[in-house]
Amino acid sequence: MIWIGDVLVSQGEGGVYNERILGGARVWDPHRSKLSALYHVGTGIELTPGMRVLYLGAANGTTVSHVADYVEVVYAVEFAPRPMRDLLEVSRRRRNIIPIMADAARPEQYATLVEAVDLLYQDVAQPEQANIALRNCSFLKTGGLLVLMLKTRSVDVRKEPSEVFQDTLDALTSAGFIVQESVWLAPYHHDHAAIVCTKPVV
Amino acid sequence: MQSYWFGDVGDGRCILFIGDSNTIIDRVRSISPNMDSFVPLEWEQAVLCGAFRDRIDYLTKLQAVCIVAAERSIREQYSRKDAELLQMVRTLDEIDTVINLLSERAAEWYLVRHPAFSRKYRRTPAHILVKTMREKSKGALGRVAGEIEQLAETRTILAKEVSARADEVMPNTSALIGGLVAARLLSHAGGLLLLSRLPASAIQVLGARTALFAHLKTRSPCPKHGIIFQHRRVHNAPRDVRGKVARVLAGKLAIAARLDYFRGVEAPEFLDAAQERIDATGRRSVP
Repeated sequence: MIWIGDVLVSQGEGGVYNERILGGARVWDPHRSKLSALYHVGTGIELTPGMRVLYLGAANGTTVSHVADYVEVVYAVEFAPRPMRDLLEVSRRRRNIIPIMADAARPEQYATLVEAVDLLYQDVAQPEQANIALRNCSFLKTGGLLVLMLKTRSVDVRKEPSEVFQDTLDALTSAGFIVQESVWLAPYHHDHAAIVCTKPVV
Repeated sequence: MQSYWFGDVGDGRCILFIGDSNTIIDRVRSISPNMDSFVPLEWEQAVLCGAFRDRIDYLTKLQAVCIVAAERSIREQYSRKDAELLQMVRTLDEIDTVINLLSERAAEWYLVRHPAFSRKYRRTPAHILVKTMREKSKGALGRVAGEIEQLAETRTILAKEVSARADEVMPNTSALIGGLVAARLLSHAGGLLLLSRLPASAIQVLGARTALFAHLKTRSPCPKHGIIFQHRRVHNAPRDVRGKVARVLAGKLAIAARLDYFRGVEAPEFLDAAQERIDATGRRSVP
């Protein structure tokens, strides 16, 4: 990852969302992007130029554009038509973003388009977040990484966030995933946690 | 054989699919692989198939197809009949808020200019007050009052359009509670599909979110009605049966919304029975 002092940046064409430019690189704001927050509060994962990424819950393409600066190709899945328009605009300017309008909970809708990936990144506002990750893990190479941004409030507003966090961790471990890191994203994002795990070699 | 967007692969063979972006998209949409035994595609196979020169060529073509596919999906989503109604009714509610806020503020301002003015014992409706303010005030205040009147006119036109569009998009729901309230239900649910999927109990308290969550978290009583309170048969019902009327009405609305989504035309035999049942509940009072 590229740091200038304590500012996380990525190399690429700027002006995607009026982000600040520092020394010719795009500043990756931890307040706007949960992945950037993960690098600030924890270790995170090293994004490398050869990586293939399946990104679930791409939204406006803000974080996607930064990820695309680092890796080879990003398959960006988004369900809602409104953010999809922004994502398309970003894709037209970047050759390595493949925009897919589909429901992340139904991988069979986009299975024929996506190849095996090194990283599965998920940031969806749905109740069944662990299940969605598991349903998509057939795209993930063995030994590949899963980064799950857990929106605890989307799972169940009545439950304590810490309880939801534990349940999700349990669900992932019982499915065989090996958890590398799990952190809360405070103070950048409240009631959001990041879980980094690897798909085991069977 | 496993099917992918560019063709079918299996047994060491590869059958290329020939077509333009649109036929490829139709193909992608028609394939629904079993995810348990699914093997993700390998781009090398696609190159071996002969359709792509190298990885860059493969990704460029895939991106082009995916962009066209997404544009098509967006168009399809927005051309749904309820998409515009959603925006119309939300605009209507927003205009209401703006009119109320502005009139309140303008009235305060008018009071400063006319210290003797009072609304007590006058029974002045709001729109008459705004008219007086416009006629009796010079400068910006008069203009603000004028703008409020303009907005109110726009609101009337919009309300008629919302009502008419709701009759068209959701004939059964509109017949039960009127176009405006039906459109508000639609707006809260987020679309006709989502509304048709809601259980009656959710429709009953749609729009009473604060009360509902207060009920779930603490011991406060549960809300009896949300938006459907705006319908006359609910708010005119005697207090002791109001909750019952709301429940029966919500039950019928859930059926009506499904008829609207799946059938799309009025179902008179359902409506007659439903109206009769709702009216009967309203009449029945506890002795």
